[in-house]
Amino acid sequence: MPDDRPAASNYRYISQPRRTKEDKRFITGRGAFVQDVQLAHTKHIALVASPYPRANILSIDTSAALAMDGVLDVITGAELTEHTDRLYHGVDLPNVRWHPLAVDMTRYAGEWVAAVIADSRYIAEDAAELVAVEYEPLDAAIGIERVMEPDAPLVHPDHGSNILLKKKFVWGAVDDDFAAAEHTISYRARWGRSSAVPIETFGVITRWSEKDEVLEVWASIQMPQYQEQIADALRIPLNAVRVHNYIDVGGSYGVKRGIKQTVLSGYAARKLGCPVRLIEDRIDNMSGGDAHGPDRLFDVTLAYNGDGLIRSMKMRVVDDVGAYPGRSIQQLGKPISALCGPYRMSSIEYDVTSVTSNKTSQVAVRGFGQAPTNFALETGVEKIARRLGLDRTEIRRRNFIRHDEFPWKIPSGTAYDSGDYHTVLDKAMRFAGWDALIAQRDAARAEGRLVGLGIATCLEPGGGNNIFEHLLNEKIQITTFVESALLKIDGQGQVTVAISTHTAGQGHQTLAATVAGEELERDPDGIRVVHLDSLEALPTRGPVASRMAIMLGSAVSKAARRLRNRMIHIAAHDLAVADTEVEYADGEFTVRGDPARKRSWLEIVFIAHRQLHRMPPDTEPGLQTIEVHAVPGGGKLPNEKGEVQIYPCFSFQAHIPLVEIDRVTGQVEILDYAVAHDCGTVINPKIVRGMMMGGIGHGIGAALYEKFDYTEDGQLLSGTFLDYLLPSAHEIPDIRDTEHCTPSPLTSHGQKGSGEGGYLGAPAALASAVNDALEPLDISLTELPMRLADIEAALHTHANPVPETAP
Amino acid sequence: MKAAEFEYFRPTTLDEACGLLADTGDDADRCLLAGGQTLVPMMAMRLARPTHLIDINRITELQGIRDLGGSVEIGAGTRQRAVEKDPITRRKLPLLAAALPHVGHHQTRNRGTVGGSIVLGDASAEIPLVALILNATLIIHRRDGRRETMADGFFEGPMMTALEPGDILTTIRFPVWDGTTGSAFHEVAPRKGDYALVSAGAQVALDANGTCIRAAIGVGGCAPTPLRLQAVEDALVGQRLTDALITQAIAPVPDLIDPESSVHASAAYRRRAAPQLVQRALLDALSEARP
Ligand SMILES: Cc1cc2nc3c(=O)[nH]c(=O)nc-3n(C[C@H](O)[C@H](O)[C@H](O)COP(=O)(O)OP(=O)(O)OC[C@H]3O[C@@H](n4cnc5c(N)ncnc54)[C@H](O)[C@@H]3O)c2cc1C
Repeated sequence: MPDDRPAASNYRYISQPRRTKEDKRFITGRGAFVQDVQLAHTKHIALVASPYPRANILSIDTSAALAMDGVLDVITGAELTEHTDRLYHGVDLPNVRWHPLAVDMTRYAGEWVAAVIADSRYIAEDAAELVAVEYEPLDAAIGIERVMEPDAPLVHPDHGSNILLKKKFVWGAVDDDFAAAEHTISYRARWGRSSAVPIETFGVITRWSEKDEVLEVWASIQMPQYQEQIADALRIPLNAVRVHNYIDVGGSYGVKRGIKQTVLSGYAARKLGCPVRLIEDRIDNMSGGDAHGPDRLFDVTLAYNGDGLIRSMKMRVVDDVGAYPGRSIQQLGKPISALCGPYRMSSIEYDVTSVTSNKTSQVAVRGFGQAPTNFALETGVEKIARRLGLDRTEIRRRNFIRHDEFPWKIPSGTAYDSGDYHTVLDKAMRFAGWDALIAQRDAARAEGRLVGLGIATCLEPGGGNNIFEHLLNEKIQITTFVESALLKIDGQGQVTVAISTHTAGQGHQTLAATVAGEELERDPDGIRVVHLDSLEALPTRGPVASRMAIMLGSAVSKAARRLRNRMIHIAAHDLAVADTEVEYADGEFTVRGDPARKRSWLEIVFIAHRQLHRMPPDTEPGLQTIEVHAVPGGGKLPNEKGEVQIYPCFSFQAHIPLVEIDRVTGQVEILDYAVAHDCGTVINPKIVRGMMMGGIGHGIGAALYEKFDYTEDGQLLSGTFLDYLLPSAHEIPDIRDTEHCTPSPLTSHGQKGSGEGGYLGAPAALASAVNDALEPLDISLTELPMRLADIEAALHTHANPVPETAP
Repeated sequence: MKAAEFEYFRPTTLDEACGLLADTGDDADRCLLAGGQTLVPMMAMRLARPTHLIDINRITELQGIRDLGGSVEIGAGTRQRAVEKDPITRRKLPLLAAALPHVGHHQTRNRGTVGGSIVLGDASAEIPLVALILNATLIIHRRDGRRETMADGFFEGPMMTALEPGDILTTIRFPVWDGTTGSAFHEVAPRKGDYALVSAGAQVALDANGTCIRAAIGVGGCAPTPLRLQAVEDALVGQRLTDALITQAIAPVPDLIDPESSVHASAAYRRRAAPQLVQRALLDALSEARP
């Protein structure tokens, strides 16, 4: 792939295009997923789902199901409320009660009403058909604006309103900036209810060990505070939950929350005294599981000058979180860390409303709310450029924060660590062949074809200090989000790194081994990385928020440097010189300027483990250490103006897609896609590229294909892959990528996050391309996804304008 | 998504299969399993719940493609992919050859059969549409006999055909057009490999002067069944085909069709797209026919 990488780094392993540690087992089919866990006497859950979006449950008759051979139990919501505590929401909502199964009322079509536990999933499904639920169907609250109307049906009647959260933040002199600006522009943007779709649905097996009085959990999970929430809901201590973190996870991208499923399974396992397995099928997953992402309506006003400089922004956003919000309300909080993107605004008003509806519950999706926000922001930048007749790249250049201005503090108080947006944009344009693409577009236009060139940039906050939670819920007083590493060198001199979380495909084993190998000058291929279970684990918040390169990378680096220094100390003592006299290179400890006097790696290992008589007296035997890393720049709650440092590191990308629209069918074809990214120092280029390609594919889905459609009365129309359209290999073009490196001053090697940027940039870039294609017709679309029928409808309306009716 | 209980049979001859299928007397629901690309997911979702599943994949009589000169016979159990790759298809049945790549993905075509698709009779499916456009002959066996029926009239309603319980579709005989012919198939689907929202196929034959002597045109996704557009054909036959004539001929298409709305395309969308796709198919068929 053509590429203008920065000059080869000075690193031996970091940034080198080395094979990842994980690929081999996945490619050869040797991954170990939750479905591969075989425990004797395992029982299986099948779920009874509500066909109604909103209904009172009058009665549940389980007798016929219970009478079937092979059926052990049928559990209902009423039973669960007696024996388990309600599940946790990200904000304080005492009257929005959430349990793994519906209680008294169903709140979305597909909500689980009862769980059948049987010898096999087949029998469980047979029995589930025999559970007789008597419903009293009620009108449903559907439609992001409709649910806010005073006469809308109430999803949670005890809460008294469908508005779960309403908050307004003002950072800086918004009114003054608006008064001083030469122009304003207002627009609406809509982000459709789409998601992330892992190839493996959620699954969990739990077993209550009577011997240890511990609940053992194997799950396909990616969730901070998973074990804490299990313990709370099941009313058992945290040290009675053992989550086995070695299980491979077949994708997550945020959605693998699994809390209600695990509480249900855990409760059943304890009650029945046998392992209980709940593996969602795709229907369980898409209508009743953790599958739906943000669903947002933006009303934005930008204040700007004739030269295109944006001075201030008022962003009002409504997010439909569906029936039970869980932690998803907080997806309105994370974007505060980069609300103005890469642009120099001096003030911002941010007005957020979270509403509940009779749709499937929202969960976290890649970027935790940032992709919709970036789309809304970039839409405005494009609109101003069009209105001023300014080049779309030029308006960005004029508004970008300059390279020499970092750290740059945005109005909400977060300082961006580093960046070079002008250079990356230039690089992207050169690499894409911007001028040639413009010529190609114009030539096509001259033939009457609808071809458009898109441009979008995005900021990717990484590191995951969830201080924003406090902004939406003052009771949450969290000021760091730690990650740990345990490093040891064993008696044979082999290195093992123990990490404390699951991996959902992000390549943490490669990351940890590469960094440890770099610091210790040992080949990462020989370094083992293990996943501690949650009882053994050190403090962790898990692999979310584009944080592991930053957090785990820095933790491993510190731990490895400490061991390296300890080995130098032991060698110096053995060689009877000062520590500063010893040089370490390639596994040898040598006295500076006297190459004959040296100790080998194995000699020092042997001393450390076995030869107390040769050890320095101040040093503990063995070679092991623990590093618990706090997020850089954290540790503070917001000040009285609501200003706070949220995330530490900010990556940047520029996306340039070329698309063509079929005038008749409205179908969009992506003719070319180029992207330049800057995530600081790249630990492993293959992982970064994989993340970016996957993220762009994910963004193509959100931009052009994916949506959970509902009827007006609340039935999910796209509950299978027949209608929920994922982009396939046919729809994802060859993506050309190049990189730039602006190191972060806050991390061990200058690395930043890279798991989300592709998804944060692609939807905005494709919207830009589609709108550029439609520009000659003066059509502008601001609703995602832009599916073929939407585009065709716009083309049709343009060609056949509705005649003005006489008054 | 686990199928309800069923009994499984795997006959190796057509007679055996006919016998198994005809065996009645209880209230069993007997069903043939061909490529399983539709039936197996339907069973997994319990939208289909046969009690007796009769697998016809081992019946060699249902396999193969035979060039009979003026017609080509395709065994109902022949895989879509095998037909697509067979040179006979490309040489003799160019319309089918043009349509097959639109049927799902090569993975589904490796299993899915030509007969299975026709029996399902989905209004958006490509193979039934081609069978209708070319008015193929369908050869049907049952325990007590064999009959032939024409594709025209076979598709009766949404996923409903003239097949009776106990019938096995065994062979599809496609007529081969001779002379100067051209054919083309166009469709719009949300993604490559999806069922068409709207599809259009056309085959034309020209005489030495370039006058259209035969035309067969049809659309999918525009009515409860695949639909042949007789009126458009009539407007073309006997004429020298020009762009203007084609534009005129397709004008009534919106009134000839009766589409419904679905998640990804409204009836209005289909009404607007159908004539345009017919036009594309006709223009391409014409340019193929003209040397
Ligand atoms: C991802 C995917 C995409 C697809 N996309 C398309 C598409 O774009 N266009 C399209 O047309 N199809 C599409 N299909 C459907 C596919 O073409 C199927 O192969 C076809 O619909 C059925 O053929 P089958 O051999 O698999 O039949 P089966 O699924 O085995 O059977 C279907 C039905 O036909 C009956 N049957 C089968 N053979 C006979 C026979 N000889 N006599 C009597 N009854 C019989 C069966 O009893 C059953 O009721 C798609 C399928 C998938 C999974």
